[in-house]
Amino acid sequence: MPGIIRKYVVPGELIVDGKYRLGANVYASQDKVYSTRVGLAEISRGEVRVIPLSGSYIPRVDDFVIGKIKDYSAFAWEVDIASCFYAYLPAQAVFGRDYSPAQDSMLDRFKIGDMVAAKIAAFDRTRDPLLSVSGPGLGLINRGEIVKIMPTKVPRLIGKKGSMIKTVEAGTSCRLSIGQNGIIVVNGPPDGIAKAVNAIRLIEEEAHTADLTQKVEALLTGSGGA
Amino acid sequence: MAIGRNPIVVEHIRKTRMTELLSKGNRLSGRGLLEYRPIKIETGLIEKASGSAKVSIGNSQVIAGVKVEMGTPFPDTPNQGLLVVNTEVLPISSRYAEPGPPSEDAIELARVVDRGIRESKMIDLQKLCLIPGKKVLAVFIDVSVLDIDGNLFDTISYACTAALATAKIVQYEVSGEEIKASEEKIPLPVKTIPISITMARIHDALIVDPDLEEEAVMDARLTLATDSDGNICAGQKGCPGGFTVEQIMQAKDIAIEKGKENRELLKKMTGIA
Amino acid sequence: MTTLINEEGLRVDGRRIDQLRPFKLEVGVLRNADGSAYIEMGKNKIVAAVYGPKEVHPKHQTLPDKCLLRCRYHMSPFSTDTRKNPAPSRREIEISKILREALEPALILGDYPRTAIDVYIEVLQSDGGSRCASLTAAALALADAGINMRDLVVACAAGKIEGKIVLDLNDAEDKEGEADVPVAIMPNLNQVTLLQLDGTVTREEFKTAFELALQGCKTLYDAQRATLITKYFGKAEPPQQEAQESQESQEE
Repeated sequence: MPGIIRKYVVPGELIVDGKYRLGANVYASQDKVYSTRVGLAEISRGEVRVIPLSGSYIPRVDDFVIGKIKDYSAFAWEVDIASCFYAYLPAQAVFGRDYSPAQDSMLDRFKIGDMVAAKIAAFDRTRDPLLSVSGPGLGLINRGEIVKIMPTKVPRLIGKKGSMIKTVEAGTSCRLSIGQNGIIVVNGPPDGIAKAVNAIRLIEEEAHTADLTQKVEALLTGSGGA
Repeated sequence: MAIGRNPIVVEHIRKTRMTELLSKGNRLSGRGLLEYRPIKIETGLIEKASGSAKVSIGNSQVIAGVKVEMGTPFPDTPNQGLLVVNTEVLPISSRYAEPGPPSEDAIELARVVDRGIRESKMIDLQKLCLIPGKKVLAVFIDVSVLDIDGNLFDTISYACTAALATAKIVQYEVSGEEIKASEEKIPLPVKTIPISITMARIHDALIVDPDLEEEAVMDARLTLATDSDGNICAGQKGCPGGFTVEQIMQAKDIAIEKGKENRELLKKMTGIA
Repeated sequence: MTTLINEEGLRVDGRRIDQLRPFKLEVGVLRNADGSAYIEMGKNKIVAAVYGPKEVHPKHQTLPDKCLLRCRYHMSPFSTDTRKNPAPSRREIEISKILREALEPALILGDYPRTAIDVYIEVLQSDGGSRCASLTAAALALADAGINMRDLVVACAAGKIEGKIVLDLNDAEDKEGEADVPVAIMPNLNQVTLLQLDGTVTREEFKTAFELALQGCKTLYDAQRATLITKYFGKAEPPQQEAQESQESQEE
């Protein structure tokens, strides 16, 4: 893409002088645009944004996330989604509207330590994120290897239109479930899992580099399999 | 908030894999059952302390410093110096360590480490007496826990041992009631090198050096410290689960054998004879 | 009287009057913390750790519209010449407060309502200027944690010893000198976020000391920036030419 200017920045660093549309992780003061994070600043088509390299997961409605059941009450499970907030999975969202704590046993569905694939059903500045597990591919995860990466690296792991996932899956005969919160579950043959985990680590480590796809392919085709 | 419950919840699918592997003699980390994580010991980095050591076992990381002050002996041991071991689990070390008074876990930790050093008679306390009944040296050993990834018992204990073994203190000359500090710096009167070995039982498997996840699922824990002669000098069983008699006997042998290995390692890394 | 500055104009540790002590900065030194940093400044050895944003305990401290910032400055018992009692002293509590207030303007706390950020600073060995070194490390730890910030914070002290204005006092100079002026700034926004004065100076001396401290801050800021860039990118400049795959497929 022509006309993209890239710059490594730290919080408070001036990215550019002048009037621009403000993308993610920047702020403007008197026609100067500054970064709020450590990351890669991009100026393109009149917009400035910073792709951050660190930071925790901030929930967004409709995000696919993978979480861990941490606790439960009579009305909801508390789910650790590796964020600033615990998320809640209401019992009604699992048992239906006529849920009754006297009749339905929460533990029949999810126990403490269970992993769940879920969608963020609701979240805003005033309340904790609510989860939903109804939908294809959502619900209890009962096998697989868990890998945790920095949530800011997830877009890179997914790649353009899922290209990076496809590369990894094809090279390892594994299936990857990638939560936007940086929790990944890998399923497949044992040697494939080991390879996939290595590939994920490489992508996390080198997310900001340019020829990442080639590096991942090189790793997967065996030359650097270990 | 959740006092008395281990705040680390290990995912079921990981726990299942862990126990499957353990039954075959393997661990999630790829370690053998009786294999420690890499141990790193760095001494002398706190110039203001008489002795200091930063020790990491895997990702657990602590720093110990030795300070020596003049003190009054206890009435029942008028010719012995004082030894005080104090451990602070700092809030920087884990999201579950809150600032404020130490939890019961932190107090147990400090006391078990203290016992290993005290009961092994590592430091000859009689040699720290200046004027019997009146003036003795008090050796303070303080530990700051920086990062927690399991087996703090051994990490802290090795840090204390390494800091004490490499400490240099001011030599005092006593004539009658007069105490004079000399220019000379001398080592502490070290008699033996105590080494603790912490083991965990998960189902039927006995492992050494449990990491944070293994500690979160372990049924029972046992710490045994041995001295340079291979005698067992301190012990502590922890957690609600139990051990069989056979497991205890096995643990005793592990503590002695592994203790020998780790003692050599500690001596090599601190450069003491 | 001890001489803190000799005939050649050099200080007890051999520095010129406008010279910083040797320093070292590192980020990402702890595994559990969301962000962490380590600083050595003279004999100061200080670790800073950041946890958060995270849920607030105790819950009643929760702020509806922004994040609660908490800060704890603590010295290990072995960090000082004579053993320090591990319980927090009044001095540590005061410093914790002014450090929190020096960091707060740099953080965009409105982005994280109903959460808390804890900044923990542990002084493993203390020397003159430990509060300034603590701030410089804490700002790095906050950036490492990926918290939205308007600017970094960087701090340095100047002072007066034997009638001369000097930069970055060490322990002996701090104890025996006439005045100490710690200053913290947000370097890009040109805001002073911490200022203390301990001792008597003239109007002229105050100006000179303040400007000298700012110079020290500038040098340290360059080091802060370089530390973050090296940690995250390994090198100084991004590739401009290659058609990079979009990092964004999932967003928007």
